[in-house]
Amino acid sequence: MQKSTLTDVATMPTPARAGAPSARRLLGRDYQTAWLFLLPLIVVLIGLIAYPFASAIWLSMQRKMVGGEATFVGLGNYATLLFSEQYGEVFRKSVLVSAVYVGVSIILKFVLGMAMALLLNEQFRGRTFFRGLLFLPWAMPSLIVALAFRWIYEGSPNGLLNLILIDYLGSDRLVQWLADPSIALWSVIVAAIWQGTPFWTIMFLAGLQSIPKELYEAAELDGANVFQRYRFITLPGLRPVLIITTLLSTIWTANSINFIYVLTGGGPVNATMTFPMLAYDIGIVGARQMGLAAAVSVMFFPFFIIAIYFLTKRMLAAESRA
Amino acid sequence: MSAALAPSHRAGSRRLSLRATRLLRRAVLVIGLTFFVIWTVVPLYWIIATSVKTNAEIYSEASLIPRVFTSIHYEQLLTKTPFLTYFKNSVIVASVTTVIALVIGVLAAYAITRLHFRGRVLIARATIVTYLVPGSLLFIPLFQIAFQLGLTDKALGLPIIYLVGAVPFCTWLAISYFSVIPAELEEAAFVDGANRLQAMTLVTLPLALPAVAVIALYAFTSAWNEFLFALLLISSDSQKTIPAGLAGLINGDVFQWGGLMAGAVLASIPPVLLYMLAQRWVVSGLAGGAIKG
Repeated sequence: MQKSTLTDVATMPTPARAGAPSARRLLGRDYQTAWLFLLPLIVVLIGLIAYPFASAIWLSMQRKMVGGEATFVGLGNYATLLFSEQYGEVFRKSVLVSAVYVGVSIILKFVLGMAMALLLNEQFRGRTFFRGLLFLPWAMPSLIVALAFRWIYEGSPNGLLNLILIDYLGSDRLVQWLADPSIALWSVIVAAIWQGTPFWTIMFLAGLQSIPKELYEAAELDGANVFQRYRFITLPGLRPVLIITTLLSTIWTANSINFIYVLTGGGPVNATMTFPMLAYDIGIVGARQMGLAAAVSVMFFPFFIIAIYFLTKRMLAAESRA
Repeated sequence: MSAALAPSHRAGSRRLSLRATRLLRRAVLVIGLTFFVIWTVVPLYWIIATSVKTNAEIYSEASLIPRVFTSIHYEQLLTKTPFLTYFKNSVIVASVTTVIALVIGVLAAYAITRLHFRGRVLIARATIVTYLVPGSLLFIPLFQIAFQLGLTDKALGLPIIYLVGAVPFCTWLAISYFSVIPAELEEAAFVDGANRLQAMTLVTLPLALPAVAVIALYAFTSAWNEFLFALLLISSDSQKTIPAGLAGLINGDVFQWGGLMAGAVLASIPPVLLYMLAQRWVVSGLAGGAIKG
């Protein structure tokens, strides 16, 4: 195992060879090679991430159509989103829809992922096969998953769910899984958790395997039942994994529009209009107001800063201990 | 497995409760697995079943199980549409993305885990932060940048956009893999007179080869699966990747479900195959960074 950690290397004393240039002492022993190796990374980080990030913020303060001239409007776009008649309502709705979409998805992925991981952690014949099978959704392209669910949810009697309802369960009413505003969001959530759950399972499985078996044996000797063992050994043991997975999954779920884009496009009557879908809708599909669209995304950014801050700290700490 | 719920029991009843627990465990396992297998298989089944049904069975006399099997949707997809061109473009786009992201990531991770320089922590942190920056925030500006750089309607413009996600992710994974390969091995090579380049290419990289393969797999599948930029930026059939091409099978509100599902099967095969080949490493690799915490 590597002894040095990420935190101490920068200040590590470099072997002071006779006549070593002072730049080396100042910048570190291998600074020339290091920055040469890092150059491509830095180009990508600045050119494709930092610059677009800054221009999103700059764009959010301009009135700009796709391909058109830009005029600076200060916080005008933000005011439009919050208070204008045209956008105020749909923006507030997108806050609510995003919260429900992300909250419910995360809770269900947690519950299903945990159950799947506990089952797959048992010893039984064919375990490798079942793991491979249950992880399949995660390996599939999300456009394909979304298209498949669009076909499953089809509102005519040809869609799978309506087919089962009518032919096998004796219902005489077609359900509009994606066109009924009171159902659509839940339908999209099911598709999202179908594909997203295996990621949680994989993380939990790895976490379960890192809990020492002796803890369980000791607890059994002390007479702890299966629920007590879960509550006092498994859950605390999974805590680090749980935090990282929840934060990562929250960022991804909140920002991805793959399923919404293919299944509902944000409709019916904005019932599935999460904020990135709204940004896409305003900026690229409908009004083509890129400034206003950027303002939608920027407005939600503060929520992610907290998640990013904690994740960065945890991921770095995990690395240093390796 | 689960012994002694109540250690004070007499031997007889204890054996009984042991058997009862084992039975209960078995029942929970069977019920749970059955639920998850149905949950996973139903959508997969519906994709495959639709792709081999006749149009009559898809649209008018809908059926759960195909009564007649047909390969017409596959034949039409392969001969009447440019699906093979889309497939070729997808392979090129995903491969180019993978190679570039891998080279950038491995070089940077090597510097971060092996070289001594000021700013190491800062770069490592910047890599994670950029990996976590919300995609929705970058989407609009990247769209604009793609237009300004003239990346529209060119398959080979897509890898440049895909580097946004692939590079920080590959770098981060490479860092966590490299940091568990002992640095002492390279130091031994230096003692034997190797230079930095030799130490990297002859000592560390060969040891990291399985890890590099896993990183490549991630980069490849995520580029293969991306569709939003592909849909927005590409309009010519000759440049489309599979997702953009499949979307072309949707004419307004008319979905050619047979063809779409046949395309879905064919588009899923490469990532699913890759994933099955590497399943063992995927599981340990993905969680590697997390479980150490």
